[in-house]
Amino acid sequence: MTLLQVRGVTRRFGGLTAVDAVSFDVHEGMIKAVIGPNGAGKSTLFNVLTAFDRPDEGSVLFDGADLTTMRPHLIVRAGVARTFQNTQLFEEMSAEENVLAGAHAVTRTGFLAAALRMPWTVREERDAAEEARRLLRLVGLGEWASTPAADLPHGLRRLLEIARALATRPRLLLLDEPAAGLNSAETSALAEALYRIRDLGVTIVVVEHDMGLVMEVSDEIVVLDRGRKIAEGPPRIIQKDPGVIAAYLGEEDVSDEF
Amino acid sequence: MRRDARTLLPYVVVALVAVAVLTVPLLTADRYLLRVLTFVGVNVIIVTGMALLFGYAGQVSLGHAAFYGIGAYASAYVVVELGWPWLAGVLTAVLVTAAGGLLLALPSLRLKGHYLAMATLGFGEIMRVVFTEARTVTGGPDGRSGIPFPSVGEWTLDSAGANYWLVWGAAVVVLVLAANLVRSRPGRAMRALHGSESGAMACGIDLVGLKVRVFVISAALAGFAGALYAHVVGFISPSTFSLHVSVLLVAMAVLGGSRSLAGPVLAATVLTMIPFADAVIPGLSRSALETIQSFQEDIYGLTIIGVMLFVPGGLAAALRRVASPRGRER
Repeated sequence: MTLLQVRGVTRRFGGLTAVDAVSFDVHEGMIKAVIGPNGAGKSTLFNVLTAFDRPDEGSVLFDGADLTTMRPHLIVRAGVARTFQNTQLFEEMSAEENVLAGAHAVTRTGFLAAALRMPWTVREERDAAEEARRLLRLVGLGEWASTPAADLPHGLRRLLEIARALATRPRLLLLDEPAAGLNSAETSALAEALYRIRDLGVTIVVVEHDMGLVMEVSDEIVVLDRGRKIAEGPPRIIQKDPGVIAAYLGEEDVSDEF
Repeated sequence: MRRDARTLLPYVVVALVAVAVLTVPLLTADRYLLRVLTFVGVNVIIVTGMALLFGYAGQVSLGHAAFYGIGAYASAYVVVELGWPWLAGVLTAVLVTAAGGLLLALPSLRLKGHYLAMATLGFGEIMRVVFTEARTVTGGPDGRSGIPFPSVGEWTLDSAGANYWLVWGAAVVVLVLAANLVRSRPGRAMRALHGSESGAMACGIDLVGLKVRVFVISAALAGFAGALYAHVVGFISPSTFSLHVSVLLVAMAVLGGSRSLAGPVLAATVLTMIPFADAVIPGLSRSALETIQSFQEDIYGLTIIGVMLFVPGGLAAALRRVASPRGRER
């Protein structure tokens, strides 16, 4: 089943067309990657998919509903979660509290019920905390539950953000350059976490610069170059695609970007 | 077992402090001291709202004295002029200030940045003029006097001790409700909002809705405190609710520190007592007290600057260090 349909998305900034009529489908249960050299429009597309930005043309249909007309916090409730390239954790809060904050979307204790500490709110809180610890174990952060986010090593911060996103109980998880700045051990820990998440039935879209991770984990890849989609297919095909090779070789120095 | 003792400790401390606070009138008959401590209780109620708004949700208001004033005048007006019972006056004060908070918050919180601070500053000035000019309601620059003591039916709270109990009883209830709030889902959302707005949005938190709710609660608490003040003191005038009171409230919140209720409550206690230092320091000379009073504003201003420079976490950070000496206070 097609979970996400990206249809002719175009986003312009002044005279620059950052994303130019991009269309693709994401089927339920797969890991789909969007790659491309720097300036290809990956981040712009990502912000459109998560309703942090609006496209000038086109639509993004998630399970039939158009995400481009919804406010960011509502698409989370509809089942679309995201992480950030520059992690947006709550630094003062512990890892567990960060994940609990993610459960905001699926819990319902309001101001009045919380102030009066109604018995059902205490139960909801306890269940949410249990679920948060389970998610921390899932991404391999079980030992770090009480550590403030600010004290976590860089690679683990990425995993914490993924756990927080999972706490919103998404059907679709969008990851913005999750491997940026990670060493190879951290990248393979990330890849394992992604497999475990997909096995839970969560569909994943990874926007990524790092070819290693993408070739390893993704079922299908969309390649962007200068805002346009230049190729789409499974990793083995993409690796040999002359247009893709040209786009990446055209970069002056791949190694010094992140 | 040790873990149990640690989790129980905060409850024990809070219960002991609550009992200590509520037994004060049994231990002293000093009317002046009780009156000063009653003012402290009024400010504790306001600062609890400020702590939620500023310390937890990270939103700055420079106009909370205006809500304090609206609450005081609203209750005084309906009780004195319309003959409503005292409880109806307090309820009116809370509802009017909540509505005022909503009207101010909805437009200004939709915008990012310091618009809320500017809007509240402007609002405070507008209300100062209203308090002075709307004579039929407020009594003009001379204020409103002869506001009756709090009463329910035949029962009137006309002694210093009874007023102390009323105000501190209300303060304790407000603090317990606020403490429940901050350690559950809405409180976590407020801290998330303070930590990272993008991160909070990615958690499905409705930023505008949350900010507006917290603002309305803090405005209503200031209004509630204003109504208590009006009936306990019996006289109100525009100077009680001026900009410098708003600044004092911000000073309490800053000195108190973020993500804490105990810090701001302690700060409110200390800063409220400064002009009445003679109530707790028996030997204090008249001239020393006058010096303190005339430099009152400077003390508040220097407090804000000093805390920002030397104790970024405020009293809350200091309290946390005491609570967990080995802890990883950041």
